[in-house]
Amino acid sequence: MTVLATQLRAVALFYRSVVPFMAGISALILLAVLLPALREGWGRSLLPALLLVKLATAPVVWYLSEQLRPGQYWFYFNLNISRRRLWAGVVALDGLLFLGSALLMRAVLS
Amino acid sequence: MSQLIDNPVGAQVLEADGIRIGFGERQVLNDIYLRVQTGQLVGLLGRNGSGKSVLLQTIFGARAVADASVRVNGRRVVPAFRHPGLLNYLPQEPLLPPSLSLVQAADMLGVDLVKATAGFPELRPQLGRRLGELSGGSGRLVQALLLLHQPTAFSLFDEPFSGVMPVHVEALAEEMQHVKHRKGLLITDHRYAEVLPICDVVYLLHQGRLLRLDGDVREQLRDYGYLAT
Repeated sequence: MTVLATQLRAVALFYRSVVPFMAGISALILLAVLLPALREGWGRSLLPALLLVKLATAPVVWYLSEQLRPGQYWFYFNLNISRRRLWAGVVALDGLLFLGSALLMRAVLS
Repeated sequence: MSQLIDNPVGAQVLEADGIRIGFGERQVLNDIYLRVQTGQLVGLLGRNGSGKSVLLQTIFGARAVADASVRVNGRRVVPAFRHPGLLNYLPQEPLLPPSLSLVQAADMLGVDLVKATAGFPELRPQLGRRLGELSGGSGRLVQALLLLHQPTAFSLFDEPFSGVMPVHVEALAEEMQHVKHRKGLLITDHRYAEVLPICDVVYLLHQGRLLRLDGDVREQLRDYGYLAT
């Protein structure tokens, strides 16, 4: 397995451990804010702001994850992956999933 | 770093110094110098709370210490874990994510699991399981074997024998003896009776200082209060 493939797999694995937090926040933003806005017909311009709000919640998830599972990084360190790289990957992946879900929702409802 | 690791000529030398760590008023580590080279099994002993785990984590690079210098063949490698093929670390706590099977973990670590567990046929039926589905001792043994066989120049093991049954402790110690021909191993464990006979070098962490013990190691361990008799 190449180094890049291992690192991508590691980010996906780490994302699985924080997905309940991150997906919960995504669902809350999409269902409680974007969905009503789209139904009322003014949600199209809301996406960039919602994406920023979503990204701004990442430090909260990071903090909770550090407090609840301080020993979660050892496996990833042994794959030569730092905390920073792991979280950068997770935030990018989560942001893309959020954006994809929001665009899909907008396409379906418009 | 891979060139350094792949270099078949001569031993790789891992050195750490300048490590000073204190918690509040208490200075845990002070004026440390430690040296491990490939082909060596180095034992690190010390009383509870003496800073053994902190020292291993600092060398590994997981704990940032301002003046710490970790070098391989004289070249600075901080944080060391970021250098592929250089070193790995077995922590006291579970290493593997709960959702990962042993086969998947071995695949990601670049380890041939069947080969790594060849000396432990009892483990074979359990290799498809997750770490949490194994007994504590078996889980500890598998984790130690995974990192022992990961292709790195050095392995740092924090209590590898903890919870492992005696017959497997002996087999694991034997496995370490085989693997040290291509690796440098730094081990800390309170099972000194098993650790001492396999070590080429023994260090004792005593009152924040790292002492290299030469000569009659047991007598010195008694003198420093690590052993009673």
